[in-house]
Amino acid sequence: MVSRRAFLQFSGAALAMSAVNKAALAGLPELVTIDNADTQKLLYPETGRPYHPVATLNGWSLPWRMNNGVKEFHLVAEPVRREMAPGMVAHLWGYNGQSPGPTIEVVEGDRVRIFVTNRLPEITSIHWHGQRLPNGMDGVSGLTQPPIEPGKTYVYEFEAKRAGTFMYHPHADEMTQVAMGMMGMWVTHPKNPNSMKVDRDYAFLMSAYDIDPGSYTPRTNTMLEFNLWAFNSRVFPGIAPFVAKQGEKVRIRIGNLTMTNHPIHLHGHEFEVAGTGGGWVPKAARWPEVTTDVGVGQSRAIEFIANELGDWSFHCHKSHHTMNAMGHQVPNMIGVSQRGIAEQFGKLVPDYMQMGETGMAEMVDMAEMMSMPLPENTLPMMAGNGPFGALAMGGMFTTLKVRKDLPKDFYGDPGFYQQPKGTSAYEWAGALPEAPQAPVPAKETPAAVELQVKKPGHEHAGH
Amino acid sequence: MVWQPFVAPFRKAGLAAVVLLAGCATFSHDAGFGEVQNTTQQYIRQKPVWVTTDAQKAQNDEQVQKLLSTSLSVEDAVQIALLNNPRLQADFYELQKAEASMVQAGRLPNPSFSMLYARHDGDYSIEQKLSFNIMALLIAPKASEVEKRYFAATKQAVTQRVLAVANETRRAYYDALAAKQRLHYLEQVKGVSEATSELARRMQAAGNWSALDAARERAFYADTKIELGKAEHQQLVAQEALVRLLGLPNAEKLQLPERLPDLPASQDSLKQVNPDDFSKRLDLQQMRASTDALAQSLGLTKTTRFINVLELGPVRSLDGRRGDPAKKGFEVRFELPIFDWGTARVKRAEAEYMQAVQQVSAAAVDAASEVRTSYDLYRRNYMVAQQYRDEVLPLREKMAQENLLRFNGMLISPFELIADARSQVLSVVSYIDALRDFWVAETQLEQSLIGKPLNQERN
Ligand SMILES: [Cu+2]
Repeated sequence: MVSRRAFLQFSGAALAMSAVNKAALAGLPELVTIDNADTQKLLYPETGRPYHPVATLNGWSLPWRMNNGVKEFHLVAEPVRREMAPGMVAHLWGYNGQSPGPTIEVVEGDRVRIFVTNRLPEITSIHWHGQRLPNGMDGVSGLTQPPIEPGKTYVYEFEAKRAGTFMYHPHADEMTQVAMGMMGMWVTHPKNPNSMKVDRDYAFLMSAYDIDPGSYTPRTNTMLEFNLWAFNSRVFPGIAPFVAKQGEKVRIRIGNLTMTNHPIHLHGHEFEVAGTGGGWVPKAARWPEVTTDVGVGQSRAIEFIANELGDWSFHCHKSHHTMNAMGHQVPNMIGVSQRGIAEQFGKLVPDYMQMGETGMAEMVDMAEMMSMPLPENTLPMMAGNGPFGALAMGGMFTTLKVRKDLPKDFYGDPGFYQQPKGTSAYEWAGALPEAPQAPVPAKETPAAVELQVKKPGHEHAGH
Repeated sequence: MVWQPFVAPFRKAGLAAVVLLAGCATFSHDAGFGEVQNTTQQYIRQKPVWVTTDAQKAQNDEQVQKLLSTSLSVEDAVQIALLNNPRLQADFYELQKAEASMVQAGRLPNPSFSMLYARHDGDYSIEQKLSFNIMALLIAPKASEVEKRYFAATKQAVTQRVLAVANETRRAYYDALAAKQRLHYLEQVKGVSEATSELARRMQAAGNWSALDAARERAFYADTKIELGKAEHQQLVAQEALVRLLGLPNAEKLQLPERLPDLPASQDSLKQVNPDDFSKRLDLQQMRASTDALAQSLGLTKTTRFINVLELGPVRSLDGRRGDPAKKGFEVRFELPIFDWGTARVKRAEAEYMQAVQQVSAAAVDAASEVRTSYDLYRRNYMVAQQYRDEVLPLREKMAQENLLRFNGMLISPFELIADARSQVLSVVSYIDALRDFWVAETQLEQSLIGKPLNQERN
């Protein structure tokens, strides 16, 4: 158990380091944990081969120690409290204080040793998704190794043979543990730091949770009807923006550990899928895209030149995935007047307020204006504000912010983009053209006429 | 409740060997009604009034109107019934009838006078005869004794009748109030069901819902209308029962409050009852008086011991004065004397007396059991109502609040919100029923402590 907890500055980021029982864990690398969901400063290598580190969206990279030429990492599987967005905390399982776990960054050819301590109440294991490694290091409980019992520490050791984007996740009670948020990214950088070089290299994982409004813990048996669709266990408006200086080459590495595919769409730019879970895509095989589907268990590394100034949406194109918790059974009330009815309902439910007659956007206004209370620990279905009003989004939505000037190491939020005069959509102030009118049907015409279908071929029979 | 005419219980009293004329009975000023009033005062604070004059009638009417002029409390309802219940007024005349019989029986029968005129062979003979009905003269003392006891029994019965009407009124009051409150909530349910049904119709008209969805809500509304109709009738039935007890021409002037009286805050404030305490049981007291009278009429005088009728075994040898109940702490024993039977000559008397003792014993055992039963019901109904008040309703309230939060977040539809609010109302209705059951159980407990009017015979 933890006997002492010390805090130290690590690469400029505030990381909480806890020293585990020395007798039990003597000789293990320090156990480093983190206690917030901000995007931490990049982890530049001080030992080993040089590389250009990735920025993990709302996450961090795990420090290592060099031990006789072997990079040693220490992951601890444990229950965590993850803030998914301001106002909502999830009781998840993760690694080193957060879900997802820290990104592990190594260089092609590195010898890597990972100590995995199990502080969960049940067995676990870690599978190194996509890696070439000895079968005994594949982390499949029962098949390639015994499970890691609670309180035990296992050691995985292999060579990072191939550069690319990988993931790690349990392969013991996998359904439960992944649904509880156990996963992390793994980036193996090319041996030659100038190969595939980009100016900004982002990484995040997609995960989905079913957390009943008013509760904290995911319902792990849900397969499809999730209500929180997350980038790195964060949902809009809690997801950090991607930022880039105009003209920079940007890579975004996306891994999918949800149970469905996500068509990831970027506004204002075309990109290419430069890498998959299986490696780099040959240049000749790439094609320009604005949306790429990331299947379950897949990863995609997209690349583009951020040359268009502005705040550009970046999101899953399944519109339900850019919403927070919603009632899937709520019927469509559009065009249904509640005049006289809301008053009756109000007799039984004094705070009753009619909604939905004109669509769901009014709900956002109401929530804003009236600060209508929601269940405990529940985010509004649609939220977020921009310079022009409510965004009415949630889930897998964030922005790419391209600016003229941006310090190389700046990964914060530069604020909203100031659109140059004359480049914004505007309301027409002149006269409106007369709307074309449909011919008025004769008075006697029964209303059902519009539903009558004339079969082709019979057209002339009656004439 | 049907008023059962009663007849004196002393079937065997006439077998008394020698009963002297008990003196000449005369009419009292109130036919014993004052006695009835005094006894009822030991149980209730309201006084019954026997209306025999126009002035009294006017005064009574005025008091009833005054009591009806504000929201009616349960105690005021009892007062109105004791002033105004016509059957009770009819029962009061039983007192006058019984007293008249008693006085009549105490008078010597009128002698008859006859004169015989005869002519026989020219002689006239006039024979005058003053005769008494010898049989009547012989029976008179016995009849007088019977009627005296009958009068006493009538006073007792009228007393019980007054207390029974008081309890019936309480019960009817709680029933009527609960039915009214129930109706109020079911009207709410009907109101929102109507609105829900209309909303469903609009949903279908807009093309957002199928005929199936809309039909489901309409069918629910139809059901609630039927339920409301039933509740309306129940309310009328309960109100009419109260109106009858209060002796009102109709419910026009009845102003019932909005809500039943609150449930007592905690169990500590509930009534405490000792089921073996028969001091308030009028029927048992009456039976005991009967056995005393029986012993007297059988000439049994030499008391040897007392027996506790609940145990039917000797409890103590005679060492105190007669009629001095042995008290041990909380317990009040209900005891009857046992006599020295002496010779075989009184074998029949022994049988008569011991039979009566056994009958009292059976009645006492029944009474104690009845009190235990109604006391248990009283406490249990309290606990049920308390459970509703302290757990079910706050939980339903919490659920309603949580549902509103989910509705605010568009996590549930107005239909779900209202369906839940409806079931919340129905649990309030269940609470009203439970609260009524508690108050009714209290009236039943009170009644079981007093006992039921005896079925009496006079012969
Ligand atoms: Cu998606």
